[in-house]
Amino acid sequence: MGGTIVKALDDLSLDVADGEFLALVGTSGSGKSTLLNLIGGLDQPSAGSLEVQGRDLARMSRDELSLHRRNTVGMIFQSFNLVPSMTAVENVALSLMFAGVPRAERDQRASALLETMGLGGRQRHRPKELSGGEQQRVAVARALANQPPLLLADEPTGNLDSRTSCEIMDLVRTLNERDGKTVILVTHDAALAAAYARRTVTLLDGNVISDTGAVLERA
Amino acid sequence: MTFTDTLLLAFRNLRQSRLRTSLTTLGVAIGIASLAGMVSLGVGLQEQVVGRLTQSGVFDSITVTSGRANIPGMGGMGLGRVAGRGGRGGRGNATPAPPAAPLDDAAVARFAALSHVRDAYPTLRIPMSYTFDGRTNAALAAGIPESSRGEGAFQTITHGAFFPDATSPSLMLSLDMAQQLNADAPGSLVGQTLELSYADSASNAAGTPEFVAGVQVTRVSRPFTIVGIVERDPAPGASLGLSAIMIPLEQARAINARAIANPQAFLQGAAPQTRRYTAVTVRVTSAANTQDVQDQIKAMGFTAFSLNDALQGAKRAFLLLDILLALVGSVALAVSSLGIVNTMVMSILERTREIGIMKAIGGSDRDVRGIFLVEAATIGLIGGVAGIVLGWGVGRLINIGANIYIERQGGTAGDLFSLPWWLILGAMVFALLVSLVAGSFPARRAARLDPIQALRHE
Repeated sequence: MGGTIVKALDDLSLDVADGEFLALVGTSGSGKSTLLNLIGGLDQPSAGSLEVQGRDLARMSRDELSLHRRNTVGMIFQSFNLVPSMTAVENVALSLMFAGVPRAERDQRASALLETMGLGGRQRHRPKELSGGEQQRVAVARALANQPPLLLADEPTGNLDSRTSCEIMDLVRTLNERDGKTVILVTHDAALAAAYARRTVTLLDGNVISDTGAVLERA
Repeated sequence: MTFTDTLLLAFRNLRQSRLRTSLTTLGVAIGIASLAGMVSLGVGLQEQVVGRLTQSGVFDSITVTSGRANIPGMGGMGLGRVAGRGGRGGRGNATPAPPAAPLDDAAVARFAALSHVRDAYPTLRIPMSYTFDGRTNAALAAGIPESSRGEGAFQTITHGAFFPDATSPSLMLSLDMAQQLNADAPGSLVGQTLELSYADSASNAAGTPEFVAGVQVTRVSRPFTIVGIVERDPAPGASLGLSAIMIPLEQARAINARAIANPQAFLQGAAPQTRRYTAVTVRVTSAANTQDVQDQIKAMGFTAFSLNDALQGAKRAFLLLDILLALVGSVALAVSSLGIVNTMVMSILERTREIGIMKAIGGSDRDVRGIFLVEAATIGLIGGVAGIVLGWGVGRLINIGANIYIERQGGTAGDLFSLPWWLILGAMVFALLVSLVAGSFPARRAARLDPIQALRHE
């Protein structure tokens, strides 16, 4: 910013396999969120390459990136990022709207998704009428709406109490184990990472300093 | 994203900031109202002026004179413009112009046979004297054809009626003339008799023989019954001279056939039956055909003139006025388009985070741009409709006020504002275009927002 080039990630190389549950941990400023945003197609690398499902995000156009965000990844955030003026079902249906799903079908699909998240009775509520855990489950439903193979979670429990955090993380683990979603979880909480992720990559100043998955592979 | 969904999101955004949306829309409405009102005024004025002229029959009549530059006799008076045309024809003598054809009954018949011609008749203005209440005065008597019945100046006859038939010795007076004869009750003249005297080339038992330039001329006097009084000048185009007295065309023809109206023709020894007219009036079925018929008559070797040229000039002048009024009206619209830009920029600022969310879950630049463009277009369209209604209403009010004033001043009330369908449609399209242009910059800005920064926006 301001003319100074900040290298958030430097000389970083990482492979993630299908169906993995990977945690990116590190202190703030370590570059873990930047890496997640790159994978999510919210940002583009200034150099190097980043392949998701065989396609290089670094060379995608703005339109191709939006398609990547729509169909390949689903993101959940610490602050939920729901549209405040929309009900739960409208928030979920919004991502289907961008995919061009007809109205009746997307309402029905969004509704069914919320049902599986245990929010059957809360569909017509707006975000501020929902608890933090409920909001995050709406966000998960939205992330899954277009059935992406990849689920990206940026500090998903940061705004939740410990009991709700466990519920959300259990939900994410189920999606990984039962539905085969590849999950990349960004957290500063090493204990959380250890409890749920099968592989933990620790970043510091844009570099990988440890990778449990890599250790396992080498062993 | 489908267009319906874009509409859906745009409308929901507009609903959420109702006050701001309505104020901006009102701004556009005022802009469109001022623009449409101004143009409507221009069109209305044009219709008032051109409409009245067209109704008077000026533009569907052609005055034909012989091809020669110099028109002798009484037809020459007040025909300055015709003479001017003739002068142009005279210049044409350098390059061989079509030979001057005689303007006689055969020519009149040829004009009448042209397509789109309703009537063709000699324009006759006969010098006469009339005696009323023992006083004698000079006047011109115009021959009025049967085809003029109920048309132009004869649509409304102030007192009495049109000639009973084509040949009876009856006459109509102009209101001015009638007031000269009887200032207090001009209407009471209807039914009375006016003695008309005119020159006749043959001796008549009742007349007194005189010699004019060596030709025997008899003064003939005959009584004519006054049947009607007409307020408007029956001879459209002052160039043909005001006619105080109007007699049936057939009467005028008969008198003219025996008069020495054209000394030149007389001296050339032309027999009365091949008498040439100084001018012939050709009436076409509609003003749209005037030019065409005029050209055909010119091709026959005559000089033809109509006020159609003047009408075209007037229309060009009104077009200029319309453009000027539209420019003035556009100022308000320009201001309101800035209002749209402002509203959209505000709206984007407020919804930055929402835009970030939309992009994060797969909304493309085009989706975001579409939403904001539709919002701007909606403001423009609703503003356009409201503006037309507003402009129409204000125009009506001004019209009522103006007409009260005009009538108090002795004028005829009319519609100063006119709202033709093309103006309604044009104003709507313009409102839409202006709002789209105004919305395109903010919409583009919204579309290019960086999703990460937008998501961080509070």
